[in-house]
Parts: sequence; structure tokens; C-alpha cells
Amino acid sequence: MLDRDRIELIHREIDGANTPEESAAVRALLAGDPEARALAADLGRLSHLFDQVERRDPPPGLKRAVLEALAQPAPATPPSARGWSAPFALIRSALSRLAYVIRHFPEQMENAIMTKKTMLIGSAAVAAIVVVAAIMTGFPPSGAGAGTIGGDPGMQGVQQAARYHGRTMTVADVSIDNPEIQVLFQNPEILRLVQSDAFRSMMRNSAFRQLQESDAYRTVMNSDAYRTVMASDAYRTVMNSEAYRTVMNSEAYRSLQANEAFRTLQQQGAFREAQSTQAMRELQENQAYRSLQANAEFRQLQANQAFRDLQASQAFRDLQANEAFRSMQANAAFRTVMASDAFRSIMATDAYRTIMASDAFRQLQSAEAFRSLSRSQALSEAFMSQAMRTQD
Amino acid sequence: MEQIPADIDDQDRAFVRGYLGGQRDAANGLIDRYQKPLYNVALRMLHDAQDAEDVIQTVFLNALLKLKSYDPKYRFFSWVYRMTVNESLNVLKRRKPTVALEDEAGLPAAGSTPDRAAEAEDQVGMALLDLKPDDRAVVVLRHFVSFTYQEIAEVLEISVKTVKSRLFTARERLRVALLEREG
Repeated sequence: MLDRDRIELIHREIDGANTPEESAAVRALLAGDPEARALAADLGRLSHLFDQVERRDPPPGLKRAVLEALAQPAPATPPSARGWSAPFALIRSALSRLAYVIRHFPEQMENAIMTKKTMLIGSAAVAAIVVVAAIMTGFPPSGAGAGTIGGDPGMQGVQQAARYHGRTMTVADVSIDNPEIQVLFQNPEILRLVQSDAFRSMMRNSAFRQLQESDAYRTVMNSDAYRTVMASDAYRTVMNSEAYRTVMNSEAYRSLQANEAFRTLQQQGAFREAQSTQAMRELQENQAYRSLQANAEFRQLQANQAFRDLQASQAFRDLQANEAFRSMQANAAFRTVMASDAFRSIMATDAYRTIMASDAFRQLQSAEAFRSLSRSQALSEAFMSQAMRTQD
Repeated sequence: MEQIPADIDDQDRAFVRGYLGGQRDAANGLIDRYQKPLYNVALRMLHDAQDAEDVIQTVFLNALLKLKSYDPKYRFFSWVYRMTVNESLNVLKRRKPTVALEDEAGLPAAGSTPDRAAEAEDQVGMALLDLKPDDRAVVVLRHFVSFTYQEIAEVLEISVKTVKSRLFTARERLRVALLEREG
């Protein structure tokens, strides 16, 4: 029977860790002990078996995915500009893994899924407020000096934006008298929202204006996924639910928006298997996160069928996976907006909630003419002016 | 047992300094150097290519984003390998426990590919899954990236004595699982 020291000596020999003297001792041991020879032979075969296993090349896209994820934050920039700005490839990869994750780790993933839902709620809220502001204030906002209507030189501040290559409207196509614009004036909820202090405050918010000027924001506004989500019954139902409103106005949710770990997860993508990240662990230890998970309205919202339908819809998933949407969420201005009092105030208004649920609003969003109108600074300002007069 | 050459450490430090100084190409250098061995470590730890890819992406991103907190008095390789092992262990912890079937743990089923490398991969992969994750990590670092006992100890932040204990115990189990069944 080989003793422990001799067994170790043989193992070390296989690993090439013995000194010349120890190797000589092993040779002597093997010469006189069949059991030692058998062990050495087995370990040698085992080692050979490991050697036969091919060292695989990593997936060809791995490096690119990492570099893309690092693309936005330059290493030498100040801390405020750092962050996981665009881990798009990771999100795409994670999306493909979602079904697998849910199938195999239901219990373990409970917290991760809860977090995903939390993030979805936040994303939906932002999408809603963003679209209202886009329609009300023009696209881009006042001060940017460039719309997308026609490019008529006679219309100051409005010029062709090369970015938008869809149907290009001419100035002749759009006016305050346009029937679709008139829908706005006939909607008391919209007018009430426009006149509210919260909305005005939001429109004056410099971060919000920066957000509107960003490429990511503009791309999201033009994406089919975004439009489909906004027009869906499930989305409208969620927006109209008391539970949603309560959650969005809860202190716990607001605290989460200011939490760095939560932001990191949002930027990684709601569908990512986030529990493996440090950010996820930090978030789970966060008091605000825990409070939100225990919040009755939050749980009620998660149980809401419309909310589930919304999450399950392909359009909503597409939106979540949309690179521009992710980029927008990573935008510093976006973060500031989310944390602003003005944004929170708007979310708390009845008018906002009513608009989100209204048929008129849905129709407006799906109208191509109105979408084009909303990109015109001059027309949006005209609309705001008209809206103010209508309220007087 | 070959140790990681000192000039590799020097090159790593140069990449780290370069990246922190704003040279984006430095990230390329670090990824090029480590992506294959790290991927293979994760792959052998997890026995799942997609999980391994996810782990490596996470590791590189975390490493590069937290590079400022990296203490250059430690070796870069041990830092990223440690992250890889830890991330893999996290994935394993979340997996639903499964009961290994007899055939899965040992020899490949009849009719499987005759290719020897594929056969070896299948055999070794399934047998590794039968090991405790901590023991598996030691085996993987020893046999797939050829680390010395000292380097394994450094990566896993355990003593050399513990490394040897885990390695020898694990190999004994593998010997039974892989060789004695062959007859």
C-alpha cells in the first residue's frame, strides 16, 4: 500500500514538479513497486487524455463584442463620462440565452428576473415621457436649429437632416391646420399636460434637451420596435394601471434610478443574465431594491396580465435589444432626466397617465405625418404657442 | 512545470499602463493574449460554450473597466484568471443541480464520433463535471493552461498545499471515472 508521501511524489513527477533527486527516487520506487507503477501509468494516461483535448479558439466575435462594449467610454476620460455605454453585442448574446436561462435556472433566476422587470418598468416610463416630449416640443428641440421637413430655405431653422432617409415631407405637407395636429387641440388631457408646471419644467430641463438632441434618442424615436410598443394595447394598459403609477412614484424606485449598480444593469440590457455581474450582486444588496421587491404594488404590477403581455411581446423585446435604446439609456443626459424632479412630477400627473392611455395619443404616434411634424422645430413651437392660446 | 515568463508580466503591465493612458489598442493586446486560454478555462469549468463565452465577455469588460483598481504589484494574469474562475463558479452556483447519468460521466455512448480528440473532449468534459467545482478549477488550471502549483495557488488565493491536495484528490477521482471503467 502506497503511503501518502509516495503518492504525492508520483503526482509531482507527472506534473514535472520534482527535483532531479526526487525524480530519481520515483524511478527507484517504480522499479520495485507494482502498485506505484500502476498509479504512475494511470496518471500518465490521464495526463495524455487531457493533452488530447483540443484547445478551442474563442468565438470569432468575442473580441469585437468586448471592444464594442468599451467603445463609448474612453479610458482617460473623467469618471463622470465613464460607464458601460454600449455593450450591444453582449445584449444580443444574452438575448439568445434568455430562454435557456429561464428553462434551466428558474429558482435561482428569480431575483434576476425580478430585476429585469424592474428595469423594464423604468424603460417603459422613459419611453412614454420621451415620446410625449418629442411630440410637444419638436424634434430636435428648440435651439438645435435643424428639423427634417423639406429643407425649404425659406423656413428658418429647418433644414434637411441627412439622418432621416424615410419619407420626407415638404413644408406644404404640414401646418397647424393639419387634421392630425387638430387632434391634439381637441384632446383636453394633452392640453392639460402641456399647461402643467411639471411639463413646462421638464421642457426647460437642459438634460432633457440634451437627450433629445442625441443620435440615440432620435434613432429610438424612428425605430419600428418603439412605435409598435407605443401603439400596443398592453403598453397602454400598463401605463394606465394604478400599480404602475404607484411603483413609478415610489421612493424605492426613485432611489434605484440613482443607484450605479442599477444603471449598470440597465445599460447591460434587461434581458441579460445579469445575476452573474458584480452590479447585480450590488443591486441585490441595495436597500431600495429590496424595498421595491417587497412593494405590494410592484408585485401587483408584475402579476398584471397586460404587463406580462408587454414583456412577452416581440416589439418590446426588440426595443429593449435596440442598440439605440441601450445607448440612450447610457446617455448621461438620460440619467439626469430620470433623476430629475421634473420627470418625477410628470410621471405623477393624472394628465400624463391619461394621455398615455388615450386612443388619440396612440393614433398620433402611428401617424407618419404627425411623426414628421414632431421633428419640426418651427411647427412644434407653433403648436405650443397655439396650445397656450387654446388654454387661455 | 513551466512558469509564466517574467517578460509576459512586463508586457501586461505595459498594456495596462497604455490602456489607462488612453491607448485603446492596449485593450486589443490584452484580449489577444488572454482570450483563448481564458475561454478554455471557462469552457472546461462549465462544459458549455455559450456560458463560457458569456463569462469571458464579462471578465474582459469587468477587467478593463476596473483596470484603475488593479494593483500592478500583483501579476495581471493571476487577476484575470481569478476573475474567470470566480465568474465560472458563479454560473455553476446558479445551475440547477442535475443527476449525472452513468454514461455521461464515463465513456462516450456507443455510436458516438470515432474522432479521438472529440472522444477525449467528451470523456474529460463529463468527468470534470463530476468533480466539485473547487477541485475542477485546480485540474483545469493545471491541465488546460499548464499552471504550476504556485501559479494555481496565486490565482485561486489558496495555499500550495491546498492546491496539491485538491489536485491529487481530483485526479484520483478522474482516474477511477475515466480509466478504470475502460478496463
